Amino acid sequence: MHELSRTSQIVEAVLNEAEKQHAAKVLEVEVEIGDLTFLGLEQVRFAYKILTDKTIAKNSKLTIKRVRGRGSCGGCGYDGPLSYLDDPQFHMLVPTFNCPRCGNPLSISAGRECIMKRIRIMK
Amino acid sequence: MTHTVQSEPGEIFDIELDENLKKANDLIADENSRQLLKHGVKAVDVMGSAGSGKTSLIEQLVLLLKGKYRMVAFKGDLTSKIDSERIANLGIETVQISTGRECHLDANLVRKALARVDLTAVDLLFIENVGNLICPADFRLGSDKRVVVVSVTEGPYMVVKHPLIFADAHVAVINKIDLAGPMDVDLNKLGNDVREINRKTSVVFTNCRTGQGVRDVASALGIEPPP
Repeated sequence: MHELSRTSQIVEAVLNEAEKQHAAKVLEVEVEIGDLTFLGLEQVRFAYKILTDKTIAKNSKLTIKRVRGRGSCGGCGYDGPLSYLDDPQFHMLVPTFNCPRCGNPLSISAGRECIMKRIRIMK
Repeated sequence: MTHTVQSEPGEIFDIELDENLKKANDLIADENSRQLLKHGVKAVDVMGSAGSGKTSLIEQLVLLLKGKYRMVAFKGDLTSKIDSERIANLGIETVQISTGRECHLDANLVRKALARVDLTAVDLLFIENVGNLICPADFRLGSDKRVVVVSVTEGPYMVVKHPLIFADAHVAVINKIDLAGPMDVDLNKLGNDVREINRKTSVVFTNCRTGQGVRDVASALGIEPPP
């Protein structure tokens, strides 16, 4: 739902860095977005296209690397993917935050990120 | 002799950034948390869809706790003052936070609101978030506790449709229980849905019109009600 504001942040960070590097053009941008952010990736792409339109990042390629949710358990030492609710009435996967092994609450160790990884520029 | 190396026009460079876009909000949330701790203020972030009963819950908590705690309320809303006026009418200081077109409160807005309040004269702060169950999950405010309010009138799937908000929720309030019959909603199933998503989240059933269950909400938040 806040794809536009997150993507604005991405574009601002890209343009700031490009300016710092005295870039003539931004060619490519890579971001990592965790599955648990529930950001609509198509909407992010669309917003990116619009927001970069009249900038040096126009027509740059946006690569979005998805990060799956992971958790760690203080109880049994489990460190791995989350488990999902398996009811056929849900047409989406519902993540749970209890340890798949022992049922205790997990600490989420991955899946909530929104990270600008790298940019490719032309000087 | 010095050599100067320059980049040529048309040269391509890869720049590693690893910039965490959530960091700015998280840093301010931590700052808010420190401020609150410094003044001994317990802050509760109340989230829930529009109409779920967030304001009613806060009203009932204020009525319950008025004799014992000095309270302040923040209300995040796009434009209206309807909710903050309801709380102000109970005689406690309220700060209206206008979120403009944003769909969530963020730590920066809460920081600004904190600056408007004399924290030395406050024990308890209720922050009513904007009425949506998706975005607030991603924006920590610096509060001690997070409460999620879902109401029976939203149907039986509200919990499973919004799993992430329960990841950080200390308490899930299932409100408007008096309407479970007409809505044909199974209260126990809703409670179980919460537990299946996060065992750490306490589940409390309420009717925030009558105040039923509100004492249990206070206890679940670690706030001892007056006897």
